[in-house]
Amino acid sequence: MSAAFIPYRRARDFGTPKRESERQVTLTIDGETVTVPEGTSVLRAAAEAGINIPKLCATDSQEPFGSCRLCLVEIEGAKGLPASCTTEVREGMVVRTQSKRLGDIRRNVMELYISDHPLDCLTCARNGDCELQDMAGAVGLREVRYGYDGANHFDAEKDTSNPYFTFDPTKCIVCSRCVRACEEVQGTFALTIDGRGFASKVAASQDQPFLDSECVSCGACVQACPTATLTENSLIELGQPEHYVITTCAYCGVGCSFRAEMKGEQVVKMIPNKDGHANHGHSCVKGRFAFGYATHKDRITKPMIRNSIHEPWKEVSWEEAISFAAKRFKEIQAKYGVGAIGGITSSRCTNEETYLVQKLVRAAFGNNNVDTCARVCHSPTGYGLKSTLGESAGTQAFDSVMKADVIMVIGANPPDAHPVFASQMKRRIRQGAKLIVVDPRATDLVRSPHIEADYHLSLRPGTNVAVLNAMAHVILKEGLEDRAFIEARCEVDAFNDWREFILEERNSPEAVEAESGVPAEKIRGAARLYASAPNAAIYYGLGVSEHSQGSTAVMAIANLAMCTGNLGREGVGVNPLRGQNNVQGSCDMGSFPHELPGYRHISDPNVRRLFEQDWGVKLQPEPGMRIPNMFDAAVAGTFKGLYVQGEDVAQSDPDTTHVTNALSSLECMVVQDLFLNETAKFAHVFLPGSSFLEKNGTFINAERRISPVRKVMKPLGGYEDWEVTQLLSNALGYPMNYSHPSEIMDEIARLTPTFSGVTYEKLDKLGSIQWPCNEKAPEGTPTMHVEEFVRGKGLFRVTPYVPTDERTTPMFPLLLTTGRILSQYNVGAQTRRTANVSWHDEDVLEIHPHDAEQRGIQTGDWVGLKSRAGETVLRALITERVMPGVVYTTFHHPESGANVVTTDNSDWATNCPEYKVTAVQAYKVTNLSDWQRKYKAFTEEQLEHLRRARESAEHALG
Amino acid sequence: MDVNKLVRMANQIAANLDHGKDPEKAIAGTLDHLKRFWTPEMRRQIVEHYRQGSNGSSDVIELSYIAAKAIGRLAEEQAVA
Repeated sequence: MSAAFIPYRRARDFGTPKRESERQVTLTIDGETVTVPEGTSVLRAAAEAGINIPKLCATDSQEPFGSCRLCLVEIEGAKGLPASCTTEVREGMVVRTQSKRLGDIRRNVMELYISDHPLDCLTCARNGDCELQDMAGAVGLREVRYGYDGANHFDAEKDTSNPYFTFDPTKCIVCSRCVRACEEVQGTFALTIDGRGFASKVAASQDQPFLDSECVSCGACVQACPTATLTENSLIELGQPEHYVITTCAYCGVGCSFRAEMKGEQVVKMIPNKDGHANHGHSCVKGRFAFGYATHKDRITKPMIRNSIHEPWKEVSWEEAISFAAKRFKEIQAKYGVGAIGGITSSRCTNEETYLVQKLVRAAFGNNNVDTCARVCHSPTGYGLKSTLGESAGTQAFDSVMKADVIMVIGANPPDAHPVFASQMKRRIRQGAKLIVVDPRATDLVRSPHIEADYHLSLRPGTNVAVLNAMAHVILKEGLEDRAFIEARCEVDAFNDWREFILEERNSPEAVEAESGVPAEKIRGAARLYASAPNAAIYYGLGVSEHSQGSTAVMAIANLAMCTGNLGREGVGVNPLRGQNNVQGSCDMGSFPHELPGYRHISDPNVRRLFEQDWGVKLQPEPGMRIPNMFDAAVAGTFKGLYVQGEDVAQSDPDTTHVTNALSSLECMVVQDLFLNETAKFAHVFLPGSSFLEKNGTFINAERRISPVRKVMKPLGGYEDWEVTQLLSNALGYPMNYSHPSEIMDEIARLTPTFSGVTYEKLDKLGSIQWPCNEKAPEGTPTMHVEEFVRGKGLFRVTPYVPTDERTTPMFPLLLTTGRILSQYNVGAQTRRTANVSWHDEDVLEIHPHDAEQRGIQTGDWVGLKSRAGETVLRALITERVMPGVVYTTFHHPESGANVVTTDNSDWATNCPEYKVTAVQAYKVTNLSDWQRKYKAFTEEQLEHLRRARESAEHALG
Repeated sequence: MDVNKLVRMANQIAANLDHGKDPEKAIAGTLDHLKRFWTPEMRRQIVEHYRQGSNGSSDVIELSYIAAKAIGRLAEEQAVA
């Protein structure tokens, strides 16, 4: 058994949240002297001293509530018996937690609870892990004198509408922990206590089934429930776990830490880790519940090969598959040249795995044709932040948001795409932080329960740079810049050039009003609010990067932060919200064709020499191909072989027709994945991948946090992904001999200055580490650029607004913008294979009532969506979330073909596709598009090829 | 690769690095960008296109002034190398 396996026990609960204070208070509890920060509850102070006061309504993720009356204590000099959860410590206080009187009262309280509670403990799913049961034991309850014949709730009906948990009101003690979890932890306010007195009951929204309510299924209520009222269905089905392993979620860039609670090799529950630095014990519907894909029947666990994509697959041994791939790659290179093949690393794989793929490309393929899916999401962040601040990463820890006075969210939708961080951000907003939202859509942050943006700059897609420049214009014109910061920390000549440019009339709010659609006064107000705050923080997402001016917008954001001095301390900063779990890491690991690990340019002879000596090969000094270059070269006939690990370019990349033309023209594509995804349908070799539950490694989240991924079950295909890359490299003639991913991390640390202090031992000890982690910062760096910028002086880059070529025309009068939804993740390969489809089983087209009326479209109608790139058909959803002239969809289902419509337009600096702006027409139709019909036929053909492989394998066995 | 795509990319780079005040800086920036981020093959193709010109074909997009200057310098460097 691995050392990471910990025998199962419920996480320790201190009863009330930790308080921070410079003042310490000393008191006596049961004769023990205890010192805690001022503001701490007596309940928590006792718990910290190892004294467990009985409790039911108190839990340390929520503010004290004082309703259950179990945690009463005696305090010398105090009247009555105060509840220890709501009583704060005082200097010199003398507390007694146990006495005959307290014992009698607690027993009486429990007796009342149990008089209206089913006594089916032995067959209850929570048996062995129930706080109510524990408290009955702790207070010594031996009888219920009231009997069970009185009024009770035993006939209340179960709600099983949610696919992941069951609500059984017969077990409810109305402690409000679920209601408070929904409010305080998640911030959705979907639950309430309906009725009064004996009629009090937990209700979702307007007393609706959970699935139909506003509940986002984050599971915080289930985790908070001290009884079996809210219980995971997996627990009901499987029983209590017997051990757990701390690991990291493989969904979004928040990178939540989890306890994988296990029964042998079977996951019973994923419980967010209270000690997790990114999530502090919270999670979303994906991380907590949507792990079933890992053992889904669609998993492919046998290697397969074929000569042509129109032939059936053949299941073969690993040896045969690997040597087939290596032979094909070598033949292609011999025929078409060294540069005719390349590789794509994945933001869903570990650092160790992406590092190895780029090493394979550079050392075994002998070229630099390696790229990663960050190309299509955050490559402009890499370029923009590197050139202004000096490092291609966000500047803060997530916790920094708790010190922000103004929060500006640009082109990001955290409640859907980064839900756990959104909960933290919303908590800060409820505490009083001001909010500016820059987004074409009225996302949930603009207005939702207890949240309302002070400014919503609802701009036309494609005008980010114009609006950001106009904000800077206001700041400089009104003298709101931080002169001292600029002079001390930034290149002053560059600032003066930028200042002169920004003050030009073309950048005034009035000048950009018509183009952006944002009233000048709103831009002025937002700029003043941002610049005047003691601490103002910017959070941005793909609505900034995925534009023809993505890199310019990132630089404009950095300019705003620098000119207002909002960098280098907590509460401020420039924070890219990364889409996938390991986008940051895959970029850090040298996945870009022009950079070696640690963002060092391939043309630098000193850096190359370092790697050449370590790897024992000569490296090419010129940048290799980016993903779109590879596709273009494939269509042109000069690029013939591709190794794709854990990516689905055929669904995720823009202009699907162009992508599939490129993939179809390859002579050998090797796909390593969990499923026969859209890309694998064009592959010649399929190598079974391993899910995050099946391997060791690390992920790096949006705050540069390196977190351990730990194996909780054996890989279904036999190998962890890094082992497969190693096999391929060896077959190609470049030897790799790692026996554990920790050795790969040791190599990364040896060769990368920002990682030089990282080891697996240190990760085990600290839980997680934010890079840079080196001699200067042995335990990592939560806040960057504190004394000086990584590049020395901050550089203001001039950011002219260059309108995108993608403009509306009479033929394409609407602008399409794309995004994500909470329950689904990226291409949906994982989440579509879970019950998350209960919330989102198809992508729909959001359209404003005005545009819909003009076209005779009603909600639910099939709508043709056509751009210059292609045409697809989606169902319409009429909503005022989008403004007139703008339509919106998601891209989680391949048959929707959102990317059939998106074009090859891309960011000027990085070729990051312009997913966020496509000129389209929408009209009512009755049939699928041509593309969809072809897609359906091709998919059926490919699934038949897969069936044939399985049948012949069974036949051979039979 | 489709030469129009390369021309469009080069023009985009030039447009984003040019704010009308310092063409020399914009040309140098464009040249540097092509060297740092484009593959040698892409640079070879755009230089070849620059040398041949559009031959009067209306199907070919024109290089912008800044982009043409930068690629002209790239051509000179390649000739020397």
